[in-house]
Amino acid sequence: MQTKIAKFRQKLGITQEELARAAGVTRQTIISLERGRYNPSLQLAYRLTRALGAGRIEEVFSDLDQP
Amino acid sequence: MLGKPKWFTRRKYGGWGFCPKCWQGWVYLAAILTPFILLRYLPFGNDEFRWLAYSVWGGAVILDAIHIMANMEKDERERVHEALAERNALWAIIILLCVGVAYQASAGAASGEFGVDPVILVALFAGVAAKAATNIYLDHKN
Repeated sequence: MQTKIAKFRQKLGITQEELARAAGVTRQTIISLERGRYNPSLQLAYRLTRALGAGRIEEVFSDLDQP
Repeated sequence: MLGKPKWFTRRKYGGWGFCPKCWQGWVYLAAILTPFILLRYLPFGNDEFRWLAYSVWGGAVILDAIHIMANMEKDERERVHEALAERNALWAIIILLCVGVAYQASAGAASGEFGVDPVILVALFAGVAAKAATNIYLDHKN
């Protein structure tokens, strides 16, 4: 899964640690998500979207396999 | 409960359980071990008292360890990793137990006696029961 977490995070000026705390996950999970190595649950995707101040989940996450 | 889950981290590379991740965890570890050492070396009480004290303190330590393990913070990625690692560990155990049963059965057949260790069979059946119970619970839950 492709994500724009790093882009949104840098725009907000927060660290991976701060985002991890806001979303209730570890910093390692944020690193994996930013690198596109871990597909989050829908619940975590919503939490991250809220923590990043994005309006819609599709702004942060996109599925490249989708036709 | 004495120990706080946030003082510990899940043991990932050296077996099961948990290990301290901050100084509070090490202090806790020292605090729970001290009574065992005192009971062993200090000259008070008789053997009966010592065993009673060992049992009471040991039971409290086990309960506290269960509380720590059950309440240790894990995010969803860590849970997935833990589940996969535990599944693989279980497969290794099952394969070795089955090889053990096969070896014991063939050795027993060669000597004309049933020589399979009942503990291995009970362990395998306990695993089957735990798996079935988990699947029944999960099927009903979601």
